[in-house]
Amino acid sequence: MKLPRHKAVLAAGVLSALAVLPHSLLSQDLNPAELLHPSADSWPGYHGDYSGRRHSHLTQITPLNVGALSLAWAFQTDQTAQIKSSPLLVDGVLYFTVPENIWAVDARSGHQVWHYTYPPSPGDHIGNRGVGMYKGWLYFMTPDCYLVSLNAKDGTVRWKVQVADVKKGYWTTVAPMVIKNHIIVGVSGDLDNLTGYLRSVDPETGETQWQWDSTPPAGTPNSTTGGMTWIPGTYDPSLNLLYWGTGNPTPVLNGKPRPGDDLYTCSIVALNPDTGKLVWAFQVSPHDTHDWDAVEIPVLVDGNFRGQPRKMLMQASRNGYFFVLDRTNGKSLLTVPYGPVNWTLGVDKEGRPIPNPAKEPAPDGRLIAPDEGGLTNYRSPSFDPRTGLFIVDAHPSYSIYFAKPADGAYGWAGADYGLWGKGVIEAIDYRTGKIRWSHEVGAGGSGAGVLTTDSGLTFTGDGYGNALALDSGNGKTLWHAGTGAPMQSSPISYELDGRQYIVTSSGGVMFAWALPHSSSAVSGSVDGSHKHP
Amino acid sequence: MNDQQITDIVRSGRGRMPGFPKLGQDELSALLQYLSTTNAPAEAPSGNSSVASSSLSDAGAALFRQNCAFCHGRDAQGGETGPDLTQSRLVRRDVGGNRISEVVRNGRPEKKMPAFHFSNQEIYSLVAFIHEQQAKAASRPGGRRGVEAADLQTGNVAAGRRYFNGAGNCASCHSPTGDLAGVASRYEGLQLEEQMLYPRDVKSRVTVTLPSGKKIAGTVAYLDEFNVALRDADGNYHSWAIAKVKYKLDAPVNAHADLFGRYTDDDIHNLMAYLQTLR
Repeated sequence: MKLPRHKAVLAAGVLSALAVLPHSLLSQDLNPAELLHPSADSWPGYHGDYSGRRHSHLTQITPLNVGALSLAWAFQTDQTAQIKSSPLLVDGVLYFTVPENIWAVDARSGHQVWHYTYPPSPGDHIGNRGVGMYKGWLYFMTPDCYLVSLNAKDGTVRWKVQVADVKKGYWTTVAPMVIKNHIIVGVSGDLDNLTGYLRSVDPETGETQWQWDSTPPAGTPNSTTGGMTWIPGTYDPSLNLLYWGTGNPTPVLNGKPRPGDDLYTCSIVALNPDTGKLVWAFQVSPHDTHDWDAVEIPVLVDGNFRGQPRKMLMQASRNGYFFVLDRTNGKSLLTVPYGPVNWTLGVDKEGRPIPNPAKEPAPDGRLIAPDEGGLTNYRSPSFDPRTGLFIVDAHPSYSIYFAKPADGAYGWAGADYGLWGKGVIEAIDYRTGKIRWSHEVGAGGSGAGVLTTDSGLTFTGDGYGNALALDSGNGKTLWHAGTGAPMQSSPISYELDGRQYIVTSSGGVMFAWALPHSSSAVSGSVDGSHKHP
Repeated sequence: MNDQQITDIVRSGRGRMPGFPKLGQDELSALLQYLSTTNAPAEAPSGNSSVASSSLSDAGAALFRQNCAFCHGRDAQGGETGPDLTQSRLVRRDVGGNRISEVVRNGRPEKKMPAFHFSNQEIYSLVAFIHEQQAKAASRPGGRRGVEAADLQTGNVAAGRRYFNGAGNCASCHSPTGDLAGVASRYEGLQLEEQMLYPRDVKSRVTVTLPSGKKIAGTVAYLDEFNVALRDADGNYHSWAIAKVKYKLDAPVNAHADLFGRYTDDDIHNLMAYLQTLR
């Protein structure tokens, strides 16, 4: 059931949350206001909306009928890089990426509309999170740190601007984030001692609007570098605050050259998106020496906490702790482990873990939980408002960390080796941090992101290549399909032509799942009037 | 001069140069590699070969940076979850890429290394770079980066033996004169410590009971939430949907994982000291 739409003229730069959404049927066009309230037939940003909850209001697929979920189409990229991006769905076209490549695919047929390749570039090709979209233009980061702007209708390039210097050791993987007339991008690079930053760029011209540095310039005495800004953040339009996580300090495993907390590495920061000014910061790992970025999704949730309504921010962080903050001021509400951790002396009164000096990397090695990959990593968690559960792919694990003087004070400055780990989907009650249910997903770990829906389904994957639908209430498997490779991205969902789709990827293939055409659910309505238990 | 000729001279000596008859095979291979990658104009048949090999390894360095450095470090000395390739036995034994290419092309899925479908020329360039890095690392006088066996000698043998027989409960499955006899000759340094803490290649066993009541046992070939597969004593592969059968897993290796929450770092170093006496 679509809401009626009518065109309205919006003055440039003046957007109100109540504005109606001009929506052309004939072009690849995304008004930034759509990002505030995405329609059912779109997924216009990395998280779908700005909250990071990755929760769909669509209810056509339910616990009762998901057993019949089947393949609508698959798109094969015919190349070996694994898809790690979250696709965008705008005006019936899906956009997704691997390093140096963007595909535009017709979401109805699964056939290619266009394919863009960036020329072979230096810089780490570890992955690419996807594109951002503003009006008719896409925004894409390259391994050699260029922001490329393309025409969404055909993938032709408008311009590119350099965001960082790959020769210094930076590379970029982030999906650019679009807020009003700002394209916000982050940088990566842990093998050198480099300053991390966020940059806001003009969507029309590519000119820099502002830059926020997470750490001081390299060479500042007794000071850290690092704080890379790997993953797209979240945004609260009513507070006008942009939330972003920052990465670990450099040198990575040697903390001696950088005594103190090493601000603002391993932090959740709130910035004004129009000016880039820091409004508040909360440090998830003061003086980290284990490579535990705090770049996991800062999920925005409005709800009750200890009887009081709160605007919250939640992060299941790489260092093994689950954080609930007040997102108006960054104050801690809850800090609790969500898996085995052995590196702290407890939590301080500000809600920050206190690192145990005896668990810093040492010449003869220290046993550390979790491993370097962390208790979770870049894949997205999901918050389900119906159950109050924060659902995350966790990786209980152990490793040994080494550092000695010969390893120096530059870049990695040490060595770490994972020993053992497994994958578990955990449903965390945000009010207490208690794990309400967990679902094992394989020795070694999974790596799949999580999507929840209003009908009570959790979509994710295991470490063996199975795409899974679980009951959000108890974690039991209701559907699975063997896709041949473990999911390394996060699922999305949208409605098109009266049919709800779940889109997942694994290996180099994009899969679209839906109930069969003949199913009675599909001939009924999509978003709310359908009965479910 | 070919490798055999060099080997003969190194082993027997020549003129005033002494012989080194006891030089181990691994060290000899490393020496041969180093000699083959050094620019030595008097030895090279033409100036071109050393120039060609250095530009090949330059190309390998660039490819390595893009695709491998994230885990194996920019200098191949590892540490970022990927092993130090310059201390790798597989790399030392590699000749012209025969072993390295297999790992690069197939990956190591159980260790999360992806497969890379590089062209032959790209593989050669990577191999040249990796061998060059290994030679460079070996030639460094002291204080080299990365974990060496000498770093891991901070434990106490007697305390390690006590832990083995006591709190660690290792003796319930292992014996220093039985399965662990000579373990420190099979593994050394970091590899020994990693195997001690969690032996990755160990296969668990499973017994499957069919609806008829018949039992089949073997080593686990595959196990997820939906399917179980085994290889029986004759090496035959069988698989079943878990919904159709009952199965019982026998995974003594889990005892290693159970210890992680109980070890102190001293326990680990002491155990390492004790195990290294089992040559």
